Amino acid sequence: MTDPILEIENVHAAYGRGAARVEALKGVSLQVKRGEIFGLLGPNGAGKTTLLSCLEGLLTPESGSLRVAGREPKRAKDRLGIQLQKTALLDDLTVAELIEFYAALYGAFPTRAQIDALLARFDLTEKRGQFIRRLSGGQQQRVALAIALANNPEIVVLDEPTSALDPHARRAVWDIIRALHDEGRTVVITTHAMEEAEALCGRVAIIDRGQIIACGAPAAIVAGLNINPVLKATVELPLEQVRALPGTLTARYTGQYLEVETTHPQTTMPALHALAAQLGRTLSEVALRQPNLEDAFLKLTGRTLNA
Amino acid sequence: MRRFFILTKAMFLVYLRERSTLFWNFAFPVFLLVIYAAVFGGDNLAGFMSWMVPGVLAINILAFGLISSATMMTEFRQKGVLRRLQASPVPTLTLVGAYILVNVAIAVLQAALVVAVAMTFYGLKMPAANLLLALPMVLLSVLMSVALGQVVSGLAPGSGGAVAIGQILYFGQMFIADLILPIEQMPDWIQKVGPWLPGYAIAQLVRPPLQSGALSPDFAVNLLLALVYGAAAALLAARLFKWEARN
Repeated sequence: MTDPILEIENVHAAYGRGAARVEALKGVSLQVKRGEIFGLLGPNGAGKTTLLSCLEGLLTPESGSLRVAGREPKRAKDRLGIQLQKTALLDDLTVAELIEFYAALYGAFPTRAQIDALLARFDLTEKRGQFIRRLSGGQQQRVALAIALANNPEIVVLDEPTSALDPHARRAVWDIIRALHDEGRTVVITTHAMEEAEALCGRVAIIDRGQIIACGAPAAIVAGLNINPVLKATVELPLEQVRALPGTLTARYTGQYLEVETTHPQTTMPALHALAAQLGRTLSEVALRQPNLEDAFLKLTGRTLNA
Repeated sequence: MRRFFILTKAMFLVYLRERSTLFWNFAFPVFLLVIYAAVFGGDNLAGFMSWMVPGVLAINILAFGLISSATMMTEFRQKGVLRRLQASPVPTLTLVGAYILVNVAIAVLQAALVVAVAMTFYGLKMPAANLLLALPMVLLSVLMSVALGQVVSGLAPGSGGAVAIGQILYFGQMFIADLILPIEQMPDWIQKVGPWLPGYAIAQLVRPPLQSGALSPDFAVNLLLALVYGAAAALLAARLFKWEARN
């Protein structure tokens, strides 16, 4: 079950011409294994969508090679279920007509019962006969996902499936993605939300300015960078005294929060309490924040993910 | 085949459910007919109608290709519908075939509506033989017009641009190509230029069969003109075609 289903090797790709030419991918290599949820994480404009376009057979790379289930992307379109970032549905069709239409594009002809089952799965049963333009953003997104599954694909490629959704709708989409994974499908998503990548993906590739700067399980990426945990608390203390505490690397204020980067939170924490007591102050809202992908991105690029 | 049928049905529904295309394709042509009848009809209404109805039919065909068909494709492109189609394994020829079939169907429906209204309300006499002879002319004219519309859609980056170009080409020909004003009443230079326009070819192909059940004396020239315009436009449209709108 670990053979690669998507193979991307040293891909260079650009769009536009002349002065408007943008080199979007600069030598990207990665493999996605059969049955995993793989995340492409990066800020807007990093090259995530361009990479998907290459996989979807919409863009021909200038060099490098791609294989989708062992075939060239243009010959493997039938293996993919896709949802593009710009949801491009025909406004004047009903939900059921849309599913029939997009399934037919793939040479799939679901029966009425199969369409009903698909709609039920996405909680769209009551919207069956409604025009797509009358649905809410979350409902439209669920229709887009249902369409991505209309051809019963083994690989599902979703470009920012939750970016425009409220937290509740976002959770619903996460549940759907997990269910696709449980069915043994391979799922590739792009996101610029690190908590989404951490919550869903077995492995992620962090992509920035057209290059992959880290790839692996989220925890492994973070662990490999030796980023220190940060103690947070609301308290007013002189920073030079905080910096002298055992284990402490840096200390600073962000808003009302004191943030102390430490190699040994177990020793720094009591020392911080003792310092506060000595000065007649108390710590409140104390928290220990373990490093996450956001910190990894900051450490790798010197920039924050959503800047 | 089943795939082709479902694609065609979906595109047909999209056309019929869009209110603005519904208006321009079905309400407006009838409205034009009513206006022309009221303004120019005079005493000999039935005789006038036998000249005017083919003209209205011809300008509808022109408007359909240059405006409706062009706009629909441009909107598909802008909304990202084309991109989603491109990402699917459906062969391009299947898509093109479905699009052309839907366009022809709508244009023929539109022509039938105009003729039916004229026969019902304005006493137009239209023998079945005339309609039968006109049908292939209408089909050819629609194909040429749709091809011209796809050139417009390929030239115009945005939907607004396509509408503007289409309307200029349409209104430009409306008056100088023997469509609703006889070209004999026009200044010399128009009488020289007009007969080389696609709209003139449509008028000459469609009018004589409908009016008298015969072909026009210079049928061969106009047939050739329509074929050349159609083929050249189709080739150019294929070259200009883009799946994706420029940002």
